[in-house]
Amino acid sequence: MNQKDLRPQELGKPCEQLIQLNDLMPLSFPYDQPGMEPDFPDVKPEWREKYCTSLDGCAGIDTLQRPKTEAEEIEFVQKFLNGLEKIFSDANNGVLQPLKLSFEYCAKCNTCSDACHIYKASGDNELYRPIFRADVLRKIYNKYFTSGGKLYKKFIGGDIDVNWETIARLGELAYRCNLCRRCAQTCPLGLDNSLFAKEIRKIFSQEMGIAPTPLHDKGTILQLKTGSSTGVGKAAFVDMVEFMEEDIEDRIGRKIKIPIDKKGADILLVHNTGEFVAWPENPAAFAILFEEAGVDWTLSSDMIGYDSVNYGIWYDDAQAKKVALQQMQAAKELGVRRIVIGECGHAHKAAGVVADRFLYGEDKVPVESWLPIMWDLVKNKRLRFDPNKNNFPITLHDPCNMVRQMGIVQPQRDILKNITHQFREMTPHGVDNYCCGGGSGFAIMNSFNFDKFRDKLSARVKFEQILRAFSDTIDDSSIPKYICAPCSNCKGTMRGILKYYDATEKFNVQYGGLVELMVNALVSVDKPYLEFLDE
Amino acid sequence: MAELKVGDRILLLDEDGFLDNAADWDEEVAHVLATTEEVELTQEHWDIINYLREYYAEFGVAPMVRKMLKDTGKKQSEIYTLFPSGPGKGACKIAGLPKPTGCV
Repeated sequence: MNQKDLRPQELGKPCEQLIQLNDLMPLSFPYDQPGMEPDFPDVKPEWREKYCTSLDGCAGIDTLQRPKTEAEEIEFVQKFLNGLEKIFSDANNGVLQPLKLSFEYCAKCNTCSDACHIYKASGDNELYRPIFRADVLRKIYNKYFTSGGKLYKKFIGGDIDVNWETIARLGELAYRCNLCRRCAQTCPLGLDNSLFAKEIRKIFSQEMGIAPTPLHDKGTILQLKTGSSTGVGKAAFVDMVEFMEEDIEDRIGRKIKIPIDKKGADILLVHNTGEFVAWPENPAAFAILFEEAGVDWTLSSDMIGYDSVNYGIWYDDAQAKKVALQQMQAAKELGVRRIVIGECGHAHKAAGVVADRFLYGEDKVPVESWLPIMWDLVKNKRLRFDPNKNNFPITLHDPCNMVRQMGIVQPQRDILKNITHQFREMTPHGVDNYCCGGGSGFAIMNSFNFDKFRDKLSARVKFEQILRAFSDTIDDSSIPKYICAPCSNCKGTMRGILKYYDATEKFNVQYGGLVELMVNALVSVDKPYLEFLDE
Repeated sequence: MAELKVGDRILLLDEDGFLDNAADWDEEVAHVLATTEEVELTQEHWDIINYLREYYAEFGVAPMVRKMLKDTGKKQSEIYTLFPSGPGKGACKIAGLPKPTGCV
């Protein structure tokens, strides 16, 4: 099929795979050369048999399995329709109005398409057009929830076959959007197409019990059980912090006692626990900076008080609320003045925006971002830097949740100007940034070939931006080039693409957060803090 | 779900080849898991595996990679030489630890 002709009703069409992932957006030098990019791996027959790979040959939802009987299929479709009816009812508190506006008022001008990094990366494939999934949803809604005969339904767009394949494909299609809301930002009518992706995910989780394992069973549920989606319990957390103290001493020769459970501290700093496990130099850098600046702060070792993640905001409101309540409770019990969220984008939105609507009065502790606080410490000279220490090209990735969603744009730039002379922006940047490609859970969804979808497609525009930001030095591997990505999910995506495109090995492209760069430039620290600078 | 044949036993593996049930693990299982990673286990491998299992028994999770390097006196590159898929997908898998979860 000519992929430019794909129409929404074809989501119900019986065929092995609706589209092929080819003709992707070309990449710049040196990735414009043949052989620089791995091909997309073939779909394994056993995946096709059991899961839904019939959309684009990828599968993101490992719990979405084909029905064994006709009765199972009918139940599956019915549950979806029940959920669909519900999201358009008063029960969908807070979302109903923007959802209905977006549902009813879209003029299909397609301004949003050019704003979408997945659509552009796919080489303008219809399937990924931001309004495509909304159009499918409209057709299903019109088929079931409007009155009138068959001819009338065709006229109003209710002409779609609805079966397991249709709904399953729509479920998968809800995980082909990073919920970055760049489309909403550009819509001349102020409509938000990402809402549809989010609401479909909600129907799947809340009505049908279907959500990707890394987000739900091994995410939210593990967090509620152990305190963290990493499975790290209190004893393991305390062990990690002790190890970080030793590591800081080994690395920069400084003895630091990292405060844990300090009652009544000004700041409870909460990291994504993934930082401790995978990038401990990040929480260690926070400790070095806060101690040097004399901040009154603490970490919490209380169940759930040490993990800022809240995956529920990507797929399930009820789970998001459960996690947010417990996180807030941990802060209440410590009696801290405020919660400060570290370098994790979705945690910013979850605690600072979403939970702000769940909780009020007695239940609430004020939530702030680390960025304005850190800028204050820099501006007021409580930290001293030698920008010559970061003497290599540095570009900045803007995490969508902190920047586009919450408007925190300038502090990170002001900090960078104080810690390096080699900062260059990506194009576009700030609130107009592109998502890293790992947003809304993609960074940790590695089932089947979904990691390849991320590396090759959803992160493609970001990788192109990186190549362009470093175009002057990209092919000189003697010069390290640093992508500053102050967000755990974004860092996970960076790690993925740098490996997939072999860009660290071939071109010395490095990545990390902002606080590591800050420590590297501290006047008071003699040795380099960044490991890639080690001889 | 994939299966792993160990002697007379048939064990379930997840799609990445990790044991579905951590309690299934024993040394014989480790040897068969190692073949799926194209690794032949030597004493050097066992030192890492035993370290990982001890940490897991005490804390219920895998240690931080940095901690593992420090405690075993290995460099990251040496871990990759021993376990080509790396500390998580290689060493932890053969040691029978669950697949890493969360933003790691």
